[in-house]
Amino acid sequence: MEMHQVRYFLAVARTLNFTQAADECNVSQPSLSRAIIKLEEELGGDLFRRERSLTHLTELGRMMQPLLQQTYDAAVSAKMLATSYRKGGVAPLRLALSSTVDMRLLIQPLAGLMEALPGVELKFFRGSAPDVASQVKAGDFELGLAGPLEEDWDRFKSWVLFTCPLHLIVHRTHRLANSESVMLRDLVDERLLGRPYCEVSSRFSEILAQSNLRQAPGDLLASDADTLEMIRANLGISIMPAATQRHEDLKSLPITDLDLEAPTLLYSVAGRQHSPAAAALIQLVRSANWKQLLAANEGTAPSL
Amino acid sequence: MSGMSIAEELERCTNRCRNMDAPLAARLEALAVDVASLAPDFTEIVERMIARLRTAEVGQSAPQRGEPMPPFLLPDQASRLISLDSLLAEGPVVLSVNRGGWCPYCRINADALAQLSPKVAARHARIVAITPDLAQFNAELRADSKADFPILTDLDNGYALEVGVAFKVPEEKRKAMTAAGWDISHSQASDAWVLPIPATFVVGRDGIVLERFIDPDYRKRATHEAIMAALSST
Repeated sequence: MEMHQVRYFLAVARTLNFTQAADECNVSQPSLSRAIIKLEEELGGDLFRRERSLTHLTELGRMMQPLLQQTYDAAVSAKMLATSYRKGGVAPLRLALSSTVDMRLLIQPLAGLMEALPGVELKFFRGSAPDVASQVKAGDFELGLAGPLEEDWDRFKSWVLFTCPLHLIVHRTHRLANSESVMLRDLVDERLLGRPYCEVSSRFSEILAQSNLRQAPGDLLASDADTLEMIRANLGISIMPAATQRHEDLKSLPITDLDLEAPTLLYSVAGRQHSPAAAALIQLVRSANWKQLLAANEGTAPSL
Repeated sequence: MSGMSIAEELERCTNRCRNMDAPLAARLEALAVDVASLAPDFTEIVERMIARLRTAEVGQSAPQRGEPMPPFLLPDQASRLISLDSLLAEGPVVLSVNRGGWCPYCRINADALAQLSPKVAARHARIVAITPDLAQFNAELRADSKADFPILTDLDNGYALEVGVAFKVPEEKRKAMTAAGWDISHSQASDAWVLPIPATFVVGRDGIVLERFIDPDYRKRATHEAIMAALSST
């Protein structure tokens, strides 16, 4: 398929009117129709039922629309990025990170961005997942990285970058530190450091509640840096993504009966034009070898 | 029967064909013959798909000799953004568009390109491969073929569409591929089921295409003789 064929198809799918679509695409209607017929040949069926005033998508057309939109958007973005790279210049990028996002995992993609676009000016935001959502929604920050957002806004475009199992993190002198793995009941009577800022923490609380385990009083921390500092002082233990920074004082133990993983997603807003720097970072973080990056962070292979 | 699954049989065939002391075309052909005898139904589906792509002239609009190659800036297997311009600054480029490391023909092709790489370098040119797969899979393909060239990720086949080599995998082929264990929605992180038809562009330092090789039959790839002949014209 060719870019112009897809563009014409998407225009007709949007307007449901061949004349109007041809106008929008600046082509004659016969050329537009010929291009669509060619595309239909390749796809092996009609994309539209052509009725005088009631043109509509066929089943095949309806199925193809989102897939071809995705491929077309990728082509437009790739083309824009390559062209703007050729021109050079300064490129700002505003990136909102949830407090659960580990900066060390982003170093390699960021290094790739800064090497290719030396003129890039980065501006970061750190906050809770709802704050990330509102910053990206408002357009103050172009891209967001966070766990699953509560906010159900249909214009959010998201890509799961990687998924990390949740482990129990304890001090190396803790009574559980020498276990290969633990079970939820091992946590009873332990001082659990809660991470309410974590996107899957409420899910974890539900699981604990359903397990009928009576949990000792817990504490609520406000950031992973703080939580890790408390564990390093052996003041408590916590449930954290397995790829959380390994420190010689800390041990990371799988929890065999905990069926819960923490995904990290990239968020942008459908229909908004990306800056070249954002287009480049989207490519870098979506394509990145997360399996390797997580393993390097954690020291063991993650599940992807 | 040997008791091996089709996937295991195919893996064995791929390795045998890859290590044959024969030109690339003969290695690819040997695999196609193996696949046809292992899975005749699959081969019929492949033939139907190729016939349809030929009728629709897929790939015909791709840049040809004398035309400029569209620029790109794409991430390699180690998260570095590689541009066509920066490659051309060093010399001519052999741009090999592949389907991905899951495809046995692409693995044979990547392996053969790795062997060709020193000869290309002797011409002050370099090879770069592109697939729609994520870096994790391109890193595996690169290690598997012992390639010294970068393998770039073309997310969602954006560059392939721009260049005119992208196609939508037909439904019956999608089902046959899924059944055979080739789920490209995983390696591409996309449900679109779009692939490039394999293509090779030899691009001169001025960014103009010296030669292109395109065949909707993914079992056929640019021969090394043809690549070297195109490079010798620089």
